[in-house]
Amino acid sequence: MAQRLSRRKIASYYADELLAGNKKVVTELAAFLLQSRRTNELELIVRDVEEALAHRGVVVADIASSRALTSGATAAITTFLSDKTRATDIRLRTSVDPSLLGGVRIRVPGQELDTTLSRKLSLLKASKV
Amino acid sequence: MNQIVTQFASTEAAAKGGVFGALGIDLQTLVFQLIAFLILVWLLGKFVYPHLIKAIDQREDQIKAGAKAAAAAEKKAEAAQADVANLLKEARKEASQIVATAKKEASAVVEKSEAKAKTRAEKIVEDAHDQIEKDVIAARKALHNDTIDLVAMATEKIVGKVVTDKIDDTVIATAVKEAK
Repeated sequence: MAQRLSRRKIASYYADELLAGNKKVVTELAAFLLQSRRTNELELIVRDVEEALAHRGVVVADIASSRALTSGATAAITTFLSDKTRATDIRLRTSVDPSLLGGVRIRVPGQELDTTLSRKLSLLKASKV
Repeated sequence: MNQIVTQFASTEAAAKGGVFGALGIDLQTLVFQLIAFLILVWLLGKFVYPHLIKAIDQREDQIKAGAKAAAAAEKKAEAAQADVANLLKEARKEASQIVATAKKEASAVVEKSEAKAKTRAEKIVEDAHDQIEKDVIAARKALHNDTIDLVAMATEKIVGKVVTDKIDDTVIATAVKEAK
């Protein structure tokens, strides 16, 4: 019986492969998860891979905003993330969510910066006595 | 009978004469009258006066006894009057004391009632103040919450229409700058 690999080891391996430019690594990961019947861990493994990449200087950030980001906003966010994470490679995964009303929500492995108006309104509502 | 004796004497005296006759007095008649008088006196002294005197004495004794009893009764009445006066005096004194005590007790009751009423009034006022303060706090909270709800609702309704790309860029840039 094969030894069950830890998520950390899997993430470390696939992060290295991605950085090496191995394009088939995604397919390999999918096949591995199917074979080992660990498809329910997909999201956790992806998060671990992102953390492993962050440790290697590549940060994948989820950016959510109410409108499509302009080039100026994108540049400002990239610069901000470079300063904060000291990463050499910043990659943005943007999404538009009108319910955020305004501002931006930035998620990087282990951290989150939410400056959206919806968040501020939630905080305001939470301050009700 | 006197008339008969007088007529007899006058006729006899005139007939016999003498000193008594000269004076118009018949000696026999005089003696007879004297004896009759003495007999009368004796009879009175023997049978009438003792009863009269006895009755008078008894009456006197009764009067004396009555006077004595009246005096005693008067003394008793005086003593009783004095006793009544003393009793009245004591009764007045006691009544005065009772009235004074009653006044004191009434005054104490009134003071106690006033103090109680004052305390009660102060408690009511204090409770009213507390209630008002609580109501004010509750009203402030309600106003605060309503304001928040209103602001949130207005913001959600308006922001989507008012915010432009430029404003959103400015918001993002400011947020990023502040996060640094």
